[in-house]
Amino acid sequence: MINIILNEWKMFVRNRVFIYLTIFFVLSLSLVVWMGIIQNSTQQEYRTKAQKHVRKQWDNLEAMNPHRAAHYGSYAFKPNNLLNSMDGGINDITGNVIQLEGHVQNEIVYSEASQSLSISKFGKLKSSLLLQYVIPLFLIFLAYGSISNEKETQRLKLLIFQGISITRLIFAKSLSIWIYGLSLLLITIFIQSMLISSDPEVFRRLTLLIFSYGSYYYIITSLATYFSARLKNNTSALSAILATWILWTIFLPKIWGNAVEKIHPLPSRMAFKAAMKEERSKGIDGHNPTDKRREELKNKYLTEYKVDSLQQLPINFDGIVMQEDEEYGNLVWDKHFGSNYNILQNQKGLYQVSGLLNPFASLQSASMGFCGTDMIHHLDFLKKAEDYRRVLIKGLNDKHAYGGSKTGDWGWTVDSTFFRSVQGFSYNAPKINDQINHYLIDILCLLWWVLLITFMIKLNTNKKIIL
Amino acid sequence: MKNVISVQNITKSFKDLTAINELSLEVSTGEIYGLLGSNGAGKSTTINILLGFLKPDSGNASINGIDTTSGYNDARKHIGYISENVNLYPYLSGIENLDYFSKLTGKNYSYKKLEEFLNKCGLDDSAHHRRTETYSKGMRQKVGIAIALAKEAKVYLLDEPASGLDPLASNELSGLLRKLSSDGAAILMASHDIFRVRETCNRIGIIKNGALVKEMDTSDVSTNELENIYIDYMQN
Repeated sequence: MINIILNEWKMFVRNRVFIYLTIFFVLSLSLVVWMGIIQNSTQQEYRTKAQKHVRKQWDNLEAMNPHRAAHYGSYAFKPNNLLNSMDGGINDITGNVIQLEGHVQNEIVYSEASQSLSISKFGKLKSSLLLQYVIPLFLIFLAYGSISNEKETQRLKLLIFQGISITRLIFAKSLSIWIYGLSLLLITIFIQSMLISSDPEVFRRLTLLIFSYGSYYYIITSLATYFSARLKNNTSALSAILATWILWTIFLPKIWGNAVEKIHPLPSRMAFKAAMKEERSKGIDGHNPTDKRREELKNKYLTEYKVDSLQQLPINFDGIVMQEDEEYGNLVWDKHFGSNYNILQNQKGLYQVSGLLNPFASLQSASMGFCGTDMIHHLDFLKKAEDYRRVLIKGLNDKHAYGGSKTGDWGWTVDSTFFRSVQGFSYNAPKINDQINHYLIDILCLLWWVLLITFMIKLNTNKKIIL
Repeated sequence: MKNVISVQNITKSFKDLTAINELSLEVSTGEIYGLLGSNGAGKSTTINILLGFLKPDSGNASINGIDTTSGYNDARKHIGYISENVNLYPYLSGIENLDYFSKLTGKNYSYKKLEEFLNKCGLDDSAHHRRTETYSKGMRQKVGIAIALAKEAKVYLLDEPASGLDPLASNELSGLLRKLSSDGAAILMASHDIFRVRETCNRIGIIKNGALVKEMDTSDVSTNELENIYIDYMQN
């Protein structure tokens, strides 16, 4: 088998067009990776600066009432994952800044696509675009004629005659092309890993990316070689593999994606907000002193502290009400956002199952996941930001309630020493080891295709195809 | 002399068409057998059965006593096959092609030995290291024979080997085949070139509609007589 692989490589390296294209690919990939890293670090620098600026403003807040500070709020900037430079995933279309304040859970805003016409139309040029579309297409062009050429020139008979089995020949030809694809992938990964930090987490993710892309390249080259062996001539083999590729990359993802949205529909933004508003109205209105539920809470505290009026309370009841309102709001949010989260999880799960029919869907899902730029990672950021918002607002409300002021004393203030003591927002992306269960379907689907095509070649290629 | 190539009462049909009908022939060591027939007479089908690529409907074919249907992998080890067009890898030189095809059989010859094979087949020294994309058809046929030689084949199956060759190259090919047979090879050559078959072979069989209609020794007929016999059989 090694002789066939070496011979194929001789053919590659002695072909000028191949050499030029390889140089083009290597340069393009290097350039795209380098530009992606520069862009990523520039973005990250801006976001870090902005986060620091927000923190500085917070630290230097003038003395004010804690509830006013809760309305002033803070901002959480979504940091770029290091591998965002390889595969941007959904990062371009989701926002990257979220305002954190009392009473309300804001939406994440300022997506890149909303600020750039070219990104919203064409997406960003990342190495994933080359690795997912351009290189597989080139592998197809290398593989589609690998056996049919041998048939058409009658060399296949001679090869078989020299003692090579047709199955081994197909595997050797497809492996030689796969090695080429893998080399381009490894060059990309190598450049990527040279230019970014030596964090073991990044290497774990890169290893998983090598597995995912490596499997996909094996699938595409083996299938193209299989068609080349099974079909009558070059034209039929090329037509069949291109039709499959178009089905996988264009039609099936859209058809399946639409079906998934129909099966697990998300409520519209309007419906989501209306439902939230309605449920929220059933809680305590922190700013309405005549609210019935506020009265019930007041009586509870008066009884607990055995006093007759709010002014006699040793604590500030306004802070208690604000926190009560906050906690009710959190429940409402958890219910509605939790429901959306489950729907999104179900959508993702169902979409991942399409990998049984379409390995490209598994590759895309795995690539985004392992680069930390998919919906799972985005939802994790939103959850961590919301968790921080709750801690921040509770801290302010507790200060308001138990910091020494009396009910109704809205003029009471705390100085910047207190604000400085409140911890700022910092986000660490989840470790892939903890998230890997989300991508098991993708890994299994890719393995299923690897096995399926291997068995197809092993069981379905015999001497009849030689003549 | 030992019968190396043996075809016994073979019949092969493709749907309604009977390509070979009860065909029998034998070729011994040191013999060149010319299977003469028009296009579609069944020559290539016979060769493909001997190569193990086709299974006969009835009868059997063997090489060195090995059945080509059940033991085609073993039978092929003894066979050198030269097709009408020896298509080599154009990006490799003649010697690289020979090296590659030899390695596929598990033989790892030195370049010196490979050059000996090419020289034996009459390929000019200057051509050994040239890419075969610059080779003429005759030169490619020589490399094809060198590949069979390097395989240490004792049986040669040739399907229209002289087709498209210029007279000089055809003559060289005849000489080469005669040399191989004198070294003990058994050669079956399918062709419709009466002159070339007469010049090259020891024995000739005329095949028509898949059946062997006449067998003769070359020494018994001149080229003109052979042509007349052939035309008679084809017209009747």
